[in-house]
Amino acid sequence: MLSALQNPRQAAAQLLNFGLILSTAFMMWKGLSVISDSPSPIVVVLSGSMEPAFQRGDLLFLWNRNFMEETKVGEIVVYNVKGKDIPIVHRLVRKFGTGDEAKLLTKGDNNVADDTELYARGQDYIERKDIIGSVVGYIPFVGYVTILLSEHPWLKTVMLGIMGLVVVMQRE
Amino acid sequence: MHSTLVRAQNVFGFFTTVCFVVAGLIALSDFSWERKPSSTVSVKDVQVVRGRPHYYSTKKEEYAHIRFNLNTDLSSLFTWNTKQVFVYVSATWPSNSTGPRDNEAVIWDTIITSPSADHLQNIGPAAMKKLVKSAKGKSIDPSRGKLNLKNQKAKYQITSPTGKLAETDDVVLKVHYNVQPWVGMLTWTPQVDFGGWKTMKGGVSKAFTLPALKKKKEEPKKATS
Repeated sequence: MLSALQNPRQAAAQLLNFGLILSTAFMMWKGLSVISDSPSPIVVVLSGSMEPAFQRGDLLFLWNRNFMEETKVGEIVVYNVKGKDIPIVHRLVRKFGTGDEAKLLTKGDNNVADDTELYARGQDYIERKDIIGSVVGYIPFVGYVTILLSEHPWLKTVMLGIMGLVVVMQRE
Repeated sequence: MHSTLVRAQNVFGFFTTVCFVVAGLIALSDFSWERKPSSTVSVKDVQVVRGRPHYYSTKKEEYAHIRFNLNTDLSSLFTWNTKQVFVYVSATWPSNSTGPRDNEAVIWDTIITSPSADHLQNIGPAAMKKLVKSAKGKSIDPSRGKLNLKNQKAKYQITSPTGKLAETDDVVLKVHYNVQPWVGMLTWTPQVDFGGWKTMKGGVSKAFTLPALKKKKEEPKKATS
């Protein structure tokens, strides 16, 4: 650690190394985003409205392309609602019409009523463009770290600090 | 470097690698199980009535109340990686009598958990006790995939954005499923055979026509039942 400070060449290399790790992660994220055509190809479940299928902290992989067929009833989709920043993961239960203008209605498996109440004021249905992906893959629990991080912000600082220290202390 | 930190890092790295490889193998094992689901669905009774979408609404819409018979054998969908199977019956109908069936709405659904996921169900304590007891000592219970419903009432009354539904022709009920794994890919009723995964045998009702609006005067007789 101290030697790193004394040797500027090594310090620079370590800094670059740290940058490389961050940019690799970012590139992989954006790459996945391009492949799946979704602005957020991996999401973490934040609520229990789809239980028992999904619990809080589960990781979902999204796919937003329609190769063979349109997004259809029964699919679990992630959608955005105007005026709300957190996307919602619910099942598509009704579809009226076809194409981009089709009127879609969603419902959480664990909810009694459909999502009309969750939509914007005066909005009865969502459209295909509101959907940022259909759930295709599932890994349980792995995303719980992000829930912990957002609920306890000080953990973020601690983690970043530890990561920085580890990278700086590595010699190679 | 053989510091404690590096060792800890290596151990953690190896642990996560092993976890992901095992998870990947489990996910891949899905393809080794054959799936040959079958089901029959038929319409028992249909009524179209006028109603409001919710209590405070002034809008009047037509709602179809459908009763149906359902018989399924989805037992082949239950493997060690099955967390739950979501079974749903949808009604599909065309917007105009000559066009394709471009409207679809779920009228009934149910969640069948594997015994390993029973504790996650959102049901009362008595029902939970019964459910857990029904598969005591079994980690996989394929018999749960067998449903036999007679004269089942729809959970959701279908309507359409236009509010008109009476006398719609060419309505069809379809049975679908969605397999939720413990880890891996979510799968739905396949449209074509995919290796050992066969398409649903049956699962589509005969086309039927929604009746005309039910007259208010007929009500009193039925109300007693």
